[in-house]
Amino acid sequence: MHILVCLKQVPRDNSVKINPDLSVNADGIEKIMNLFDEYAIEEGLVWNEQHGGKLTILSLGTDTWVEQIRRALAMGATDSLLLSDPAFANLDALAAAKVVAAAVKKLGDVDMILTGRNSTDDESGAFAPALARALGWPQVTYVGKVLEVDPAGKRVSAERHLETMVETVSAALPAVLSVIKDINSPRYPSLLKIKRVTKIEPPVWNAADLGVTGLTSASTVTKRVPPPPRPKGALIDGPDTATKVKKLVDTLLESQII
Amino acid sequence: MSGVLVFIEQVGDEVAAISRELLGQGQALAAALGGPLSAVVIGAQAGTVAAKVVALGATTVYTVTDPALAVYTTDGYVAAAQAAVAAAQPALVLAGASFQARDFGAALAADLDAGLAVDVTDLQVAGGAITAISPSHGGNVVNTYSFTPGTLVVALVRKQSFAEAADGASGGTVTALALPATTIRTQVTSVAPKSGVVNLTDAAIIISGGRGLGDKDNYYKLIPAVAEALGGAYGASRAVVDAGWVPYEHQVGQTGKTVSPKLYIAAGISGAIQHLAGMRTSRNIVAINKDPDAPIFRVATLGLVGDVNDVLPLLTAELKRRLGR
Ligand SMILES: Cc1cc2nc3c(=O)[nH]c(=O)nc-3n(C[C@H](O)[C@H](O)[C@H](O)COP(=O)(O)OP(=O)(O)OC[C@H]3O[C@@H](n4cnc5c(N)ncnc54)[C@H](O)[C@@H]3O)c2cc1C
Ligand SMILES: Nc1ncnc2c1ncn2[C@@H]1O[C@H](COP(=O)(O)O)[C@@H](O)[C@H]1O
Repeated sequence: MHILVCLKQVPRDNSVKINPDLSVNADGIEKIMNLFDEYAIEEGLVWNEQHGGKLTILSLGTDTWVEQIRRALAMGATDSLLLSDPAFANLDALAAAKVVAAAVKKLGDVDMILTGRNSTDDESGAFAPALARALGWPQVTYVGKVLEVDPAGKRVSAERHLETMVETVSAALPAVLSVIKDINSPRYPSLLKIKRVTKIEPPVWNAADLGVTGLTSASTVTKRVPPPPRPKGALIDGPDTATKVKKLVDTLLESQII
Repeated sequence: MSGVLVFIEQVGDEVAAISRELLGQGQALAAALGGPLSAVVIGAQAGTVAAKVVALGATTVYTVTDPALAVYTTDGYVAAAQAAVAAAQPALVLAGASFQARDFGAALAADLDAGLAVDVTDLQVAGGAITAISPSHGGNVVNTYSFTPGTLVVALVRKQSFAEAADGASGGTVTALALPATTIRTQVTSVAPKSGVVNLTDAAIIISGGRGLGDKDNYYKLIPAVAEALGGAYGASRAVVDAGWVPYEHQVGQTGKTVSPKLYIAAGISGAIQHLAGMRTSRNIVAINKDPDAPIFRVATLGLVGDVNDVLPLLTAELKRRLGR
């Protein structure tokens, strides 16, 4: 069976700045793999161990992402693929998904795609549904538990963990699944494995390799600003804790906050 | 293409609060776009709900009822929504931004080659052009999106962004549409409500505890009591979720839930940027921390320097006394 995991690089935290050209500036912030993708990789590994075959890590990004791809290989992924081209910069989620779909079609033998619930920088969660539709595959999003993967019977069943309910869903393979954090505990790659992958260069496919032309995004960012500052707060003081707590409750009641 | 089509979410046979908000704001947006405000109700209860949507101001309410739509599936709902889009020819489709709405809204936008904006907090129309505002990067960046002229825009709107529509309108019509032939490729074998879980994203008041609570027993001794006295829900920092004190559903932050309640109390939480990402848009923030330099105080409306072990029992008692719960 061939499982593919989509991996995005993101800044560790979002203390980003905004460049004059409206791009987001994350300079000086450590880069990590999107946390939810770590869970997607772990889930891929679990089913790869059970069914054998390939586990490919795919990123649509730049060569500055290779460190994250290597980490995924150190965790146990068997293959990797980087989609990179100046034409892929600044695509919205729907357009990015079309590029990835072209790569998946070119690979030809993928049975299941795992992505994270959302990226922690763009936070849209639109990529997995967009990818599924671009491929014409079913989607199972917000998966908190994969119950069964049956490559022979071409079915996957999983629990979707939504805000107030849990749905049990089965879908025909090939399918796209997005996973949440609760699904498993990702393994740490050993130092030995990390050392073993340091020289691996993932194959790179560009727009011409994929035969994608005329890529456009229907949405564009035309303004980007920091949030308005929060109004200045007040510290509650008093001779002892009981007085401070009473003052706090008084203030909350007077301001009709409670 | 003109006007607005609102995707109606249902709670039993009632119109969900988010949909009432979308109908409220949809009225002005439709007028600015020079078209009608229409809505689509999908599923078994569509008939009963449609009448309520008319009362909330929609001029045409499309219903799509079919046994295949008894439970939510992406394929079924997208096909039904596409039928409504074909009938209404809107310039803008509005839906909520819940997990289910994202599953459906992003798929619909992909199918229709629409412009998509997710987690929208405001929408504007000027000279026929739509712009959508939505935050990213844990609220540290506020983006304004524009869309290629002539493309349909699908906006998935965050709760509590707009005022709800008032009841009492009349004159709208209900039109039944057939579900277009479609293959539903997923089978839902069970739908179970999560037992005993308060939906954090719906709660008006939240108290969250962090590592400052010391241990799991202390968290459960002190935090739910305050939540109960306030009639609110309780949350947690990632530190205590990862330590196994509290289930993941309660995690607030960059990799947990984004909440925006009327009151958020952070107790024994330092205020790391990833935690702030999930709660900084709360209307009022109360911080309780023994370290006066903790970063949480920088976003707090009201700060109280103290030990949670002293403050929280006193707070519970005082709230019970004053609120009578
Ligand atoms: C990729 C990534 C994603 C993350 N996502 C999230 C997320 O979604 N949510 C999240 O919360 N974090 C997230 N984090 C973790 C975040 O960086 C912090 O580590 C975490 O929020 C700290 O939790 P805390 O405030 O409970 O603990 P600490 O930072 O240890 O703070 C404990 C606080 O309690 C105070 N305290 C101690 N004892 C007492 C006492 N007796 N009385 C009063 N105060 C006391 C201390 O002064 C301190 O300020 C993420 C991190 C990364 C790298
Ligand atoms: N550029 C990308 N390359 C690879 N995977 C991506 C990319 N963008 C998004 N994804 C995947 O889609 C998930 C959801 O991202 P998003 O829709 O941006 O919130 C991520 O967790 C990744 O698994």
